[in-house]
Amino acid sequence: MINVPTIELKNVSKTFDEGKVLAVDNVSLKIEDGEYAFLLGPSGCGKTTTLRIIAGLEEPTEGKVLIDGKDVRGIPPEDRDMGFVFQHFEIFEHLTVWENVTFGLEMRGYSEEYIIQQAEKALKIVGLLEKANEYPSIFGNPGLQKLGIARAIATGAKILIMDEPLGSLDPKVSRVFRHELRNIVKDLKLTAIHVTHNQEEAMAIADKIIIMRAGKILQVGTPYELYENPNSIFVANFLGETNFLQGFVLKLFDDETMRVWIRLGGPKLNCRNVRNRFILDDNVVIAFRFEDVYLFPLDYDFEKSPYDWSKMQFFRAILESSRFIGDTKRFYLILDNGDRCVSVKPGSFEENFKLGEELIVAVHQDDIHVFKMPKNLIYELSLT
Amino acid sequence: MVNIRLENITKKYGKTTVLDNVSLEIKDKEYLIILGPTGAGKTTLLKIIAGLIKPDSGKVYFDERDVTKLSPSERNIGFMFENYALFPHMNIFDNIAYSGRVHDRDPKKTATLVQQVLMMTLLTGRNNAYPDELSGGMKQRVALCRALMNLEQTKLLILDEPLKALDAGLRMSLRRELLLMAKSEYLQLTVIHVTNDEKEAMMLADRIAIINKGKINQVGTPYEIYFHPVNLFVAFFMSEINYFEGRCIKDIKPEWNIFKEPRKANQLFLRIHKNSMPMLIDIGAENRFAAYVRKELHEQIKHGDKILLIVRANHFKIRLGNRLKEKNNSFLGKIFRRKFMGVFYRFEVKVKIKDQEKLIIITIPATREIHKTFLENSEVTVYFPKELGIIFKHPGLDKINEVLKLE
Repeated sequence: MINVPTIELKNVSKTFDEGKVLAVDNVSLKIEDGEYAFLLGPSGCGKTTTLRIIAGLEEPTEGKVLIDGKDVRGIPPEDRDMGFVFQHFEIFEHLTVWENVTFGLEMRGYSEEYIIQQAEKALKIVGLLEKANEYPSIFGNPGLQKLGIARAIATGAKILIMDEPLGSLDPKVSRVFRHELRNIVKDLKLTAIHVTHNQEEAMAIADKIIIMRAGKILQVGTPYELYENPNSIFVANFLGETNFLQGFVLKLFDDETMRVWIRLGGPKLNCRNVRNRFILDDNVVIAFRFEDVYLFPLDYDFEKSPYDWSKMQFFRAILESSRFIGDTKRFYLILDNGDRCVSVKPGSFEENFKLGEELIVAVHQDDIHVFKMPKNLIYELSLT
Repeated sequence: MVNIRLENITKKYGKTTVLDNVSLEIKDKEYLIILGPTGAGKTTLLKIIAGLIKPDSGKVYFDERDVTKLSPSERNIGFMFENYALFPHMNIFDNIAYSGRVHDRDPKKTATLVQQVLMMTLLTGRNNAYPDELSGGMKQRVALCRALMNLEQTKLLILDEPLKALDAGLRMSLRRELLLMAKSEYLQLTVIHVTNDEKEAMMLADRIAIINKGKINQVGTPYEIYFHPVNLFVAFFMSEINYFEGRCIKDIKPEWNIFKEPRKANQLFLRIHKNSMPMLIDIGAENRFAAYVRKELHEQIKHGDKILLIVRANHFKIRLGNRLKEKNNSFLGKIFRRKFMGVFYRFEVKVKIKDQEKLIIITIPATREIHKTFLENSEVTVYFPKELGIIFKHPGLDKINEVLKLE
């Protein structure tokens, strides 16, 4: 059997205002059967329009949408075998929990037996079966969204379309609920597409993340792939927290590594030169994650440690401030050349560093990503 | 210079008690975060401090002056509300200068002040831009400028969810800016900032006041709140937790020899346990367990009493294989689910306690090693240092459900 992706977009574009606004710009993507995919990007990046095109709420101006290999142009949303979950729930206040779930099924003319079976199953999964006869007004936002999810999965649709489903929940609640949401989708083996601007949420839930900006797809991959190998400064900055330093290529070595000299007399660091993309004197931006920065006091005895330091890159910096934020602790540092960087350690990390103290900073060379200096670095580094 | 003191503030709307006998002190130049879920009473509390709402009972003092009956304008406060409320038809300069006009100040003085606040917020040169030409972050700074215009004497800034409307990425970078601005040498503000985001609270606060259902549960530094929560709600609100029901064991002495492992009394644990004592407990698992409990509770909890053990997801450690013999406070289990989340890996580990299956949530720093070796279905031992286990009196199942169940 040939493996056909559940959802495929081929060169999809969408313009509004008689072609003046290009919301989606030549987007192609595949979402496989059973995959939990995210469309992620800042406000106005085209992610919601892309979702609406997949759902059939908008027709693409150009390009094709294939579901299970079939072109779905002209097929309305209700005939696309999809369940929908909305940011603002769209729950009927005048119907009971049970009626909210069964309403759509009845409209589709399913047998009573099937409807009862589906509604019971769905309400059980989200933990609301005991509340079936109550009205939704007893719930806060989390309960309402559970009901929204129950309604979507009760349809038996194998694709779940979700537009900021956690967007109306308190941050704490959404941090708890997102794991439940992923478990529901995975346990039911659904294919899911979830739109958000919240990168932490995407990283925590997704099998696959599609990062969009200004109508275009920038990168597609698993959270691990995107996090470990961002293809652009924007992606490196948008996912996770990253230090950026500017410099130029000082030396090239034979083993796909090179030496970069950070600007204004900053440190000289060995970095990977993957596929030999860089040549001597190239202006570059190097990037490394906050959590990949290690700190040591000046008198630390590296020789006594069993660790292999040969690929570690060392430089010095002054500790400007630090903050304990629970699960992590952050250290704000200033380099000799005035550049800044941040180190993140687990919250239980023990240290005796004093503010103003000079420290040894270490980063593994494989954790340093290098990018060509872009024409407009400020645009690349802005999160919008 | 301003110290603010709230004394026994109560506010009701009809039969609903929004604030229930709230007392709170805010010190000069302090960044205080009022943290709580939606509907906890945070914004009402803020409005009472600002003078926009009068309490039913209780007093508000600015320094030693009773301001309970004074209007907002008599209190000299800078406000910034969630939606910025910038005037779209006015440019940045006019938006910021507006309050000066309302207060009938000398226009020249106002103009100088505007330039000053623009400089502080790094917006110099944007005087003539209109709000819709600005990014979310810039709008936020303009709103902040406007708030800063009112800070002639008190230097008290009141922020109601100032970052809520922003994209998540922008929100993170602006937190830092906000903190630097509040603590800058020019300003040295006293800030009262309301949020429902515990991460934001930890990033910014000198102290956090946690409020739930109209009551302040705990006031303390991020450190105190995180390591010494006073109840299940506070523990749960600050990060992902695991809980275990069990009983206190007190007939074994001396208690300091619990587990007998000679642990180097390092700084962190000493600081954590200034006010706590170790306690042996039985949670029905085959291994021995101990954790820490507040001193005052230690005396109240008797041998055999029901207790609740809380362990934060990121305080568990994980090793491959069966290490039960080497580690106390340990469970043997299988990785049921694993998820890479960026800085952390999150595992759901299935363990058995008294023939009951239970999922333990564990988050650990993501390394390449973990990525390669800790796979789903791996047999693992999970354990936690006793210093990081928190014991409460068992609050009853209803209370546990009320806190943990999301509806």
